[in-house]
Amino acid sequence: MNRKKFLSSVLTASATLPVLGLRPHRTVRSGPLPLLIPAYLQSGDCIGITCPAGFITLKEIEPALQQIESWGFRTKIGDTVGKKDFTFGGTDEERTRDLQQMMDDPSLKAILCARGGYGAVRIVDRLDFRGLSAHPKWIIGFSDITVLHCHMHRHLNMASIHSKMCNSFPDDWAKAEPIQVETILSIRQALSGPGMQYSVVPNEKNRVGSAEAALVGGNLKTLETLSGTNSEISTDGKILFVEDTGEYAYSIDRMFWHLERTGKLAGLKGLIVGGFKIKPDDPGDDFGRTLYDIVLDRVKPYSYPVCFDFPVGHQKNNYALKHGMLHHLTVAADKVGLQEMELAAAGTFS
Amino acid sequence: MVRIPPYLRPGDTIGLVCPAGYMSLEKAQTCIDTLQAWGYEPRIGKTLGGDSENYFSGTDKERLADLQQQLDDDKVKAIFCARGGYGLSRIIDQLDFSKFEKKPKWIIGFSDVTVLHAHIHTQYKIATLHAPMASAFNEGGAELEFVQSLRHALEGRRSKVQAPSHPFNRKGEAVGELVGGNLSLLAHLTGSPSELKTKGKILFLEDIGEYLYNIDRMLYQLRRSGKLDRLAGLVIGGFSEMKDTHRPIGKTVHEIIREVVAPYDYPVCYDFPVSHEKENYALKSGVGYKLKVGKNKTLLEE
Repeated sequence: MNRKKFLSSVLTASATLPVLGLRPHRTVRSGPLPLLIPAYLQSGDCIGITCPAGFITLKEIEPALQQIESWGFRTKIGDTVGKKDFTFGGTDEERTRDLQQMMDDPSLKAILCARGGYGAVRIVDRLDFRGLSAHPKWIIGFSDITVLHCHMHRHLNMASIHSKMCNSFPDDWAKAEPIQVETILSIRQALSGPGMQYSVVPNEKNRVGSAEAALVGGNLKTLETLSGTNSEISTDGKILFVEDTGEYAYSIDRMFWHLERTGKLAGLKGLIVGGFKIKPDDPGDDFGRTLYDIVLDRVKPYSYPVCFDFPVGHQKNNYALKHGMLHHLTVAADKVGLQEMELAAAGTFS
Repeated sequence: MVRIPPYLRPGDTIGLVCPAGYMSLEKAQTCIDTLQAWGYEPRIGKTLGGDSENYFSGTDKERLADLQQQLDDDKVKAIFCARGGYGLSRIIDQLDFSKFEKKPKWIIGFSDVTVLHAHIHTQYKIATLHAPMASAFNEGGAELEFVQSLRHALEGRRSKVQAPSHPFNRKGEAVGELVGGNLSLLAHLTGSPSELKTKGKILFLEDIGEYLYNIDRMLYQLRRSGKLDRLAGLVIGGFSEMKDTHRPIGKTVHEIIREVVAPYDYPVCYDFPVSHEKENYALKSGVGYKLKVGKNKTLLEE
């Protein structure tokens, strides 16, 4: 189907015909596809919880359920929660069906992936995104869920939420560390409205500058394995953020070379480097380069701002980010910040 | 049409380089002696046994200069990569293949050298040699049929490798250019100018030390980037030292591969002797081969 035509017909329809029980989502002109911003959540709205990748037990998501319900939202537990096919949260068919049903269910305003792991790439081509593009909703998760963020950005230009998942909700909210509380609350904030703001401790390795562009990215290894596929994203004119865990330094170097050699660094407006938990080198194989060396060497030919230590990644300080949304990045010597742009301002982009 | 570099004659010079990881001269000595015993003149590049103290055999500039020099030197009839590791991705775009293109010569190696095989096949349509490297000559390895197959390949003998059958093999016959190498590198090259096109070809894959889920993910990448659907045939080499996650994936590496290629009907063979282990025959990348996966054995013949 001609996607552009399809989308514009949907958008016209949603603008003229009031659909019962549906709040309109927002659309903003941005490049070849209008940016789809799902409607923000209100008290009483329902969030579906599913496992598109790794398995999780019902007991393990209980802290998340309690917390989300305390925010005034309802939850709908998908069939894949508690399902287990070895490492996966059910077979490919089961995971596809669960996510598909949730994407097509107009009573859900958001879908929270219970955890990452591995498996989204095995089902992404089986999913039918037409229902989702007609009725956008927030898809939430990170790590392996980078597959979904990228796929939706490429095909729908729909904003989504890159954040912690059910497995990161503290068991006992009262005893949780402040950073845990803050990062989990950032999911609620992202779901509730615009205006996300992040202030980052300046790192002397940063490259100063500022940028206004769509924010895209996620797990670096996942981005590499999407190259050449139908879920690969273009990063031209965008702010790219990357994070990873458990990779050797040489492998991170190779992945940054991959970004460079697949044309994903040259056209950036800005680069955000999140957390990288680097696996120590094997004895005798000392790579001899830090993350700073690796990144700064690759971006040397360019002049856009680069910020290190951004609070995103497989770590406690992993804040919710709106993937695909327009952001303003400022990297100064004494101040580093990222701000979601106002829609009015964003609307002037073409 | 793929161009075949001239085969070697006694007295020809073979340049030895380390375009990626470091290797001491000592560890390459048996290889050097053996090449000499085969009648060739080894020329030791600056990056083999240099004074580097880190992971790489030299800086990017040094590795680039060494390999470039050997590519451009008419006297050098073949370039033998003594070791893989990691590093070719860092210099491949700066290499100038214009002289090499006019006067092709054999490039030898595997693992990280997959970058050269894929790049040269895609960009220049020149055959290369996926073959054992220097450490394979040690501890009696030089006498084994695997290292010997490199000697035969350099002499211009047609390559012919036979392998026992495997219960997962999918029978059939295929004819096509043979391409492939290390799965991690082929995945890493996807989307880059060195990316391998595989349509109508016989693809061979091997890997070492990867997590099973990552093997699955990389195979999905190959499949989703259109590299598995129109193959003539698939040759699965060794997948050694596979690791599993705390939550097991529940399949062996062969089961993972079988599942990914289930939608297709070309012949597939498993446990073919191309690997990071000693079972690693020299294969001519880019050259036409015939693959016969039969009931009792597999034959891959140039």
